[in-house]
This record gives sequence, structure tokens and C-alpha cells, in this order.
Amino acid sequence: MKEIKRRDFLKLAGATLVLAACSRGGGGSTEDQSGDQSPTGQPGAVSFNFRITEALVEMIDGTLVYSWVFEDTASGQPVLPGPVIQAEEGELISLTIENGLRENHSFLVPSAPGSPDVVDFGMIAPGEKVTKSFTAPSAGTYLYFDPLNAPVNRVLGLHGAMVVLPKTGNTPYSVPTPAVQQLFNDLGTTDHFPKHALSPAGWQRDRFRIWLMSQVDPAFNALAQSGVIINPADMRDNFLPRYFTINGKSGAFSSHDHSVVLSGRIGQPMLVRILNAGLFTHSNHLHANHFYVTSVNNVVRENVFNIDSFTISPLDRVDWLVPYIRPPDIAGDPDTPLRELIPNELALVIGGDIGVPQSPLVFPMHCHVEQSQTAAGGNYPQGTVTHFEFLGDIDGVDFPNAGG
Amino acid sequence: MALPVIPRGEMPPDETLAFHKHVCPPDFGGPNPDPLNPDLILSRNLLISIDLLLPENARVPMWIIEDPDDPVNGRVFPSKTIRIPRGALVNALVGCEGGTHTIHWHGIEPTPMNDGVGKHSFEVDGNFVYQFQPREAGTYFYHCHKNTVLHFEMGLYGLLIIDPDVPGAPFTDGGPGFCAAFSPATNHVIPYDVEAFWVADEIDSRWHTLGHDDFMQECDPENPVDPANFTQDGFLNDFRPDIFVVTGIPRRVNNPSPFSAADDPLFGPLVAPALQAGQTLLARILNAGYTIQQFTLGIDAEVIAMDGHALGVPPFQQYSSPFRLPAGTPFRLTTAMRHDLIITPASPGIFPVTIEYFHSVSGRRLFTARTAITVI
Repeated sequence: MKEIKRRDFLKLAGATLVLAACSRGGGGSTEDQSGDQSPTGQPGAVSFNFRITEALVEMIDGTLVYSWVFEDTASGQPVLPGPVIQAEEGELISLTIENGLRENHSFLVPSAPGSPDVVDFGMIAPGEKVTKSFTAPSAGTYLYFDPLNAPVNRVLGLHGAMVVLPKTGNTPYSVPTPAVQQLFNDLGTTDHFPKHALSPAGWQRDRFRIWLMSQVDPAFNALAQSGVIINPADMRDNFLPRYFTINGKSGAFSSHDHSVVLSGRIGQPMLVRILNAGLFTHSNHLHANHFYVTSVNNVVRENVFNIDSFTISPLDRVDWLVPYIRPPDIAGDPDTPLRELIPNELALVIGGDIGVPQSPLVFPMHCHVEQSQTAAGGNYPQGTVTHFEFLGDIDGVDFPNAGG
Repeated sequence: MALPVIPRGEMPPDETLAFHKHVCPPDFGGPNPDPLNPDLILSRNLLISIDLLLPENARVPMWIIEDPDDPVNGRVFPSKTIRIPRGALVNALVGCEGGTHTIHWHGIEPTPMNDGVGKHSFEVDGNFVYQFQPREAGTYFYHCHKNTVLHFEMGLYGLLIIDPDVPGAPFTDGGPGFCAAFSPATNHVIPYDVEAFWVADEIDSRWHTLGHDDFMQECDPENPVDPANFTQDGFLNDFRPDIFVVTGIPRRVNNPSPFSAADDPLFGPLVAPALQAGQTLLARILNAGYTIQQFTLGIDAEVIAMDGHALGVPPFQQYSSPFRLPAGTPFRLTTAMRHDLIITPASPGIFPVTIEYFHSVSGRRLFTARTAITVI
């Protein structure tokens, strides 16, 4: 029986990132018209159907930029970045890609350096529809993109994230290293990582965010729109990003988008899956908590650094575990509830009529290569930035205004 | 056929003020709202304009954060290093002139009002007392977080060092002193004899003609994301450095001469340290620029800390361990990353240190700075 799970769309108003619609179970695919011999619609298989197409993408300053994008054929809506493919390790994935554009395209999911690609569609000709089946690899964070004419097709918008969850265990990985296993064992069970009073101990596998970072130089998009085949060397040498995005959004929009913002209470750890589909080397900085780098490019880390800024190079896939501890350098007794230690800050509204309450506690994550904080050459901070918010204290009492 | 449009996002009506604050943070000043009895009080003013003198006697206008209590060395670039013993409850009196600013204590993690980010609290109008209590000894920095793309580049930053809470702290720049490092037998505190600061930065001269608020968006509480209010003529996305800096000592792009202790009486020994064989050098490294910086030392080193947190030290850093960096092994830092290295030379020699600057988009090498560790 074929079942389209509409729940698989993130139910968040204005959410940036959409989870790909998938069908699970047996029955043959009605859309498998490729010459590929891979089986589809097998029992136990999870099927996704994307179309490569074109759209105008609105930048934060209202500028419309022609882009190449993926469309989930179940919804018929083009999205940027592409729909999130989510599966469990070992699941059989049947993926159909239709090329709705005028030039050749492809679809690649690389794995760890030195390991075979998860899947490579090769060349998909204009109008062609190709289906491939592959097994969901080791749990982790993967980038998918069109590798043809690299980096052109990827940077013009043909990219997305694939998340693979583990079958078992309390970490995000199939085979965690000893250090990563210990870190996750300690969450909520140790003095240094106390758990939130009303939450279970440990990391909850649905407590993750995807930050798929990219950049836009509209000059190249305009070339593509005019039908010019872009020289990849020209793009590598002359790419001047004018817009910087997380999950396709910038500035105030990425800072208030529920699929981007880190939201939680003290003692509710969060995993962040960071990917860079663009050409700009980012240096992401989190305020209020040092984070743990648990995986880089699908290699689970042996030496797990606890840091506040980290390089995100083009094509990187980097996982952070944000421990969601109480910001440790708050002045005063660390055991005193914050409502007693900072009552005036929590009650304060700064700025009169245009003020926003200081509660709950909100901090930024931003890239520290600060050109990335601009849009259209200025307009700070309308680039690669989002919020890191603490809604409540460790004892289960929420901060004022946290209920919304 | 018209192409479909993917919208830039939604601004729910009840978030209009939050969107406005993102663009135009409110002003605020005065005492801290939740004051505690401080162990340490320090003062900083911003901004102060100074000129950075280049070797060929040209000058580059810079902005720095001043220590008003130090009439001799309080106005320097980078802004004067702050040193605080671990655990001290700090009151930082920050004064602002000629516009609003903030100070963010990078890597220190207090409440939003003490974190110095305008859009999450306020920009300082007049003065404010920031309050925090650092719990981990290590290398941090402080910088203005208003129109940060410009203000950080202009020089509104300095090192912030949290020394271990042992007798003698805070220590004098250059050593000797003690630092946090994995060492169970000594309570994770180790001594060093000499201290180096490799704070690498770059300058785009074009940017140094700009004003505080240049290329910022216009404030509009009714529609904070109205496309009409965005500036369209800015170039703060286009960083083309022509001057390269190590801990305040500059070189034009066409000047390959090594950075030495003779360059600047204040910072020279921190950039080109000298020590005796058998002594211990602590090198604190910060990428304070916008390029990818690659450091290569001609001598073995051990990475003992990153971003103010000592590798291996329980409880929070028990999942990591210090690691050896053999001579000649390059490592790269992007903006705001800090590495602390311990170097214990066994025999005399002059050991080269190179810092290569690579563009954050093209990856092209833009400059190679050279200095050295002299072991006598």
C-alpha cells in the first residue's frame, strides 16, 4: 500500500525548509520511466520524487533572482534549498529526478572523504527522468547537489540536505566514537550537563536543526537566465556574494524562521547540522554556549572540541551539539535560578514603544566573516544570522513571555 | 510563462517590532539592571580615532577602544588587551561617544544585556556597566558588535585573556605567567615563561574612509523590511585587503619584509618572541580578520586550547585532548577562532613562523607574513 505522508511537511508557518514528501511501502512506482535498472517501490523502500526546474527567488531586499531549484513533485512547489530527504540508516531509498530544464543536470550525494559516493545519478538529459535506489548510509548529515559544471549548477540553487537517523542508540550516529558516545551519555546524567526538570535525559533525536548555508551573486544568475553557459573558472574567480542565506533565508527572516532558530530550555541539548552549498568560507560563531563539533564531512570526531567558532568551508557538512547549558559566565551564583539572579533584566522592555522584552533570553548565531552579515553590500545584519533562544530555566519554570 | 516566485520569508504581524529591532536596536544606558558586588572594575571608551603608521610613513585611519585609565598605552591598535583572573565578577564601564556602540566579550557567555549585541538587547547610548564572571581561563577577545562588518574591521577589538585564578594573576603581557592546560597533577594550570600574541588581521583601505553607519538600512517601525529602505550601493560584501597586520604591525601587500621585534616597541616582542632553550613559550593566536589564515611554525608545538577552553580539561572539555603539531604542519583558522600553543624549544635557533592569508571566496593567497621565534 502506498501512503503519502503529508505529515512529512514541516508544519511551521513560514518555515524555510520543507521535508520531502515520501511514500513508503510496496507497489510499483507509476513514474519510473528511466532506463535505469534499479528497482523502485520495493517493500520497505521509501520513495522521493524531485524535478529540477527554475524559479525567481526573492532576496531579503525584495530583489528577484533567477535560480535553478528543486521541486517536490508531490507538492508541485519549487523550493530553495531542495526538500530535505530524511531516512533511517539501512532503509532502501528510491529517488526519482526529472530534469525540467534545458541543459544536462545531475544529482550527487558524497560520503566521507575516500568513501564511495552515496549515490551519483550521472548525466540527466533535458526532459529525462531517472530513478535510482540506494541504501541510506551511516547516520549523519549529507549534502546533495548537482555536480555538473561545478560549482555552477550547485551555486545557482541545485542543492539540499539529506539526514540519516540511526536505527538505535542515543547519538545521531550509527557508529559513534568513544568521545562522542561519552558526550551523549553524559547529557542529562551528569553534574555538568543537568537535564531540564520536565524533559527526559539525553539528546532527543528530533531535536535538530539544519543550517544549509549558501550565497548568491545575482550577476551569475542573470547569465544563467539569459541562457549563457557559465564558465566554472569564471565563477570561482569572480564570484562576489551579494546575498548570504541559511536555508534560503537571510537576516531578520532567518532569525525568525522556526526551522532555523535554535529554540529550547536550559537542559535540552540540540544538534545542528550545518552544510555549505556555496563558495564562501564561513566561520560560524554561537553566542551563549560553546558547542561540540561531533562530525565533520561524515567522519565522527575522535577529538571533540568545545569551541565557539568553526570553519564551514564550501561543501562541508559539520554537526554541532549545542549543550544548552545555562550561559556559564552569567555573574553570580550558578545555582541560583535566573528569575532570582536577573529579575530586572527579565522584566525589562528596552526602547519604549518600539521595544522588545528582554525575556526570554535570546542570543545570536552568526558567521564572523562579517561580509556574510550584509545584503546588497550593507544593511547589517541581514545575512547569515539566526537566533539561539532560551525559553526556560533548568527547573522547569519558563522565563516570562516564553509561551508564545 | 511566468516563473514561480519563492518568497523571502514571512513577517508575522506580531513580530513587526522584533523585525524592527533586528534592523534598528534601541538605545540604552546607565547602571546594570541586576548589579552585583564586583571583584574587578575596568573601563573602556569607544570609539577613538587613531592613525596606523605604515613602514613607508603612510597612515591608515583606525578606530580603537580606549582604556581611559592608561594614559600611556591606553590608545593602541589592536585595542588594549584586557586580562582578568578566572572567576572574578567583572563590572566593565563602557562609554560611547559620537554614536552608539556595544562591546561583545567574544567567547564569554553572560546574559543578553551583558553580551553586547544590539539586536538582542540595545546599543549603548552614553555609558553602560556590562557585568559577567568568566568561568574558564583562556584566550578571548572583545569587539564592537554594531555594524560589525565595518566596526570590527576598523579596529574596534582587542584581546581578552582570562588568566587562571592563581597568585600573580592577572599577568603581564609577554609573560611569565600561568595558563589553563590539561595537567591533572597541577590542577590543570601550567607555567609559561614567554608569551606571544599572533593576532592576524587585514585592512581594506577603501573601507577606512567610511562613516559609522554607512550602508545601513533605514529604520521603519511600520515595515522594517520594506525593500525601499535597503541601501543598494554598499561594498561591505567586497573585501579586498591591501594591508596585512600581525598584532598591530602592518605591511602593505607589496612589502614582504618580516615582522620583527623592532617594528613596534609595544607589540614587537609579542610578535617575534625570544626565549632561552628549555623555557616555555605560550602563543595565543587569533584570526581577527576576514581571510582564511594559515599558520605554519618551524618548530614543534602542542595545541592546548581552542576558543578559550583548554583541551582535555574536565568536565566540559573531557571529550577532547591536546595534540601535537609537528614543525612544518600548517593549520587554518577562520575569523574569531583562537588556538593556544605551547612551544618548548630544546636547543637554540631561529624558527620561522608564517601566516598566509587566503581570500574567503576565491581561496587565492593574498599575502604571506613572516616572523620568527628566537631561541638563545
